[in-house]
Amino acid sequence: MRYLFGNGASRLAPYLLITPGLFLYALFALGPSLATVVFSFTDASGLPKLPINWVGFDNYKEFLTLGAAARENLDALVRTLIFSVGVTVIQFSLGLFVAILLNQGLRGTKFFRTLFFFPVILGVTIQGLMWTLFLYPIGGPLATVLDWFGLQSEFLGGQPREAFIWVMVVQIWANMGITMVIFLAGLQTIPDEIYEAARIDGADRGQLFRRITWPLLTPSVNTNLALTIIGSLQAWQLFYVLISYRPGTQVLGYVVYATAFGQTSGSTAGTTFRQGYGAAAGVILFLIVLAIGITTQYLLRRREARLLG
Amino acid sequence: MGKLIVAVALIVAACGGGATSAPATPAASVPVGETAVPPPTPALSGSVRVLIHQNPPFVDFMTAFNKTFEANHPGVTVEMEVVNANDLMAKTQSRLTAQDVDVIDIFAFDRAVQPFMKNVEAPGWQKLIDAGLLMDITDQAFVKSYDAASVADAGSYNGKVYAVNLGRVGYSGLYYNKDLFAANNVAVPATWNELVAACATFKAANIGCMTAGGKDGWPIFVGAYGLLGSYFPDQLGLVQGLWDGSIKYTDAQWLELLGKYKVYAGEMIEAGASGIAGDAAPGRFASGEVAMQAGGTWYAAAIDSLSPSFKWGYIPFPGSDNAADNQFMFGKYDQGWAIANDSSNKDAAVAYLSEFSDPANYQAFVDAVGPIPTQPGATLSTTLGAEIAPYLATFKIGFENYWLGPKGAGQYATPMFTNLFKPFGTFDDPAAAAAQAQADLQSGLDAAQ
Repeated sequence: MRYLFGNGASRLAPYLLITPGLFLYALFALGPSLATVVFSFTDASGLPKLPINWVGFDNYKEFLTLGAAARENLDALVRTLIFSVGVTVIQFSLGLFVAILLNQGLRGTKFFRTLFFFPVILGVTIQGLMWTLFLYPIGGPLATVLDWFGLQSEFLGGQPREAFIWVMVVQIWANMGITMVIFLAGLQTIPDEIYEAARIDGADRGQLFRRITWPLLTPSVNTNLALTIIGSLQAWQLFYVLISYRPGTQVLGYVVYATAFGQTSGSTAGTTFRQGYGAAAGVILFLIVLAIGITTQYLLRRREARLLG
Repeated sequence: MGKLIVAVALIVAACGGGATSAPATPAASVPVGETAVPPPTPALSGSVRVLIHQNPPFVDFMTAFNKTFEANHPGVTVEMEVVNANDLMAKTQSRLTAQDVDVIDIFAFDRAVQPFMKNVEAPGWQKLIDAGLLMDITDQAFVKSYDAASVADAGSYNGKVYAVNLGRVGYSGLYYNKDLFAANNVAVPATWNELVAACATFKAANIGCMTAGGKDGWPIFVGAYGLLGSYFPDQLGLVQGLWDGSIKYTDAQWLELLGKYKVYAGEMIEAGASGIAGDAAPGRFASGEVAMQAGGTWYAAAIDSLSPSFKWGYIPFPGSDNAADNQFMFGKYDQGWAIANDSSNKDAAVAYLSEFSDPANYQAFVDAVGPIPTQPGATLSTTLGAEIAPYLATFKIGFENYWLGPKGAGQYATPMFTNLFKPFGTFDDPAAAAAQAQADLQSGLDAAQ
């Protein structure tokens, strides 16, 4: 039998080549992840010299069942799912629409492609700062426009539902460029001859999209859905930068951060360093992402097999 | 698993090389005491890594002080990092854990667990000490520069001193624009009804009633501490009452108080205040666009520095219709200094705080930042000092510094810290807000049983 890298000692080459990557993955991803699971069963504070006691499932019980705080945690879970569905549907649709437009070969395509992708390269802090200025309620750009119509809003500092929607808007604005680029790459792999043949057979624009573009974009659709769903389930940085702690706005990712690092307010203000508890919240979030991720992947792969064989 | 914040933060903290950026522009105009302590022997060397919270007058003062300290100790460099006050505790934890900080700015040791509390988390400062991360400074000479009460109340734990506190602050007050009041023929309000009437007058003249730095969340309701104080002058008693059930948010007294919260949020605070950052609020007030600013005494230095000719006054928030109830200023011990127990340059860190604590330097700090001094010989000879002088004799430590909520309590269990009413919160009805607050608190109290 002949191996790709040759016989004898050369057969070890692939393993040697992936060793650095595996080492880094174990060091920076797998190891801390496993440690987090272990921490979630302790009362670890994150401070180096305090004793760490094994508390079993107490952190999980507290997070899921203890008093009104548990109800708020479940509210945060529901909010996370709403955020994920909203962001995924809009970002996916918008990214596809923009990619199709930019794939028409119209003038200015490169400019608009750069423009739409630009937010992706900005850090979360810069994105947050830009939108904070844009939404500044006293004389800010949008406030001025609203004022022309006799309207007024506190935007990010007002009603929690409105603030939450604004974070969704910023999340979509910040990440739509990636969705667009993946779709553009997918669109450019579809040969023109297929469209040409379909047109000769009398297919209209709708049929071209339904019968050719959409099925052949399946790999891009799968990639985009997976990235957007997982990314939106894990989102918390924009909540932190744009609105920080506010009742009625937290998503699960923010709750994890807040409980572990003391960014809470209200009844728990001043109590900090509950990293065991925060780790339990993180594991719960991980399990939710895992369940949704695996289900999504299963459905998407089944669809891909059905469409593309 | 990108959400594995715990481990990632530890790694990031461990990899963090040090610190950080000193403010780029020294504030040469900030006076630092000229009688600074001469360099001790042997000569110090290395760097002193200092962590402080954002407060522009304080940052300016420290920038100037650091230059003086470096000049006095040619072998020493000061690396100062400035973080938002909301992030100070998390940053403190990271840098203490990573052993890359020497001197930390730490808020007073408040929110200690009271005997009547059950099922609560110990406050962060206590955990830092229990973890052995703060140096025992009991025997350091500079501690004796501060009054014994502040050392005992705000920097001690289990009989040892771990921090010196730099001053008390009042947080239940109202700044008012003297010229606007005079121009609109409005008397300084001494009661709630007078405050309501004053707001109506200013709004009729197209002047905002009051502002606050709402972007940071809590400053919106700093003024409400005064409301609370006028109803419950015994703040520790209030906390105990809420814990033992003898006081409930649904009591008639609280319903009346929450009704005033609603007026405060909806009719007094100017529209759009939720976008104003805490350190930008003094600028908004000094601009003359609004007649008043609800806020603590820590804003005074910024107001003065923005507009030295601006005439302002500071009064306790008049929350009651009985003027006698509105004579109390509530506040807390504020920022202080501690030394990292794992500091690699303890001698320099001690020298740094010794020099800061030198009476001349401390007085310069008080002049620049404006706390109510905790060194016996220092005086607050600023506009603020004159304004709050009548209230110092009855100064009270406020609710915030006693309160810890039981585990399991909901987010409205402490309505002082949340933006309850529209347009900043969701509630429109005081009775509904009271019911929610009591349910959230009761849930935690039941869990504690």
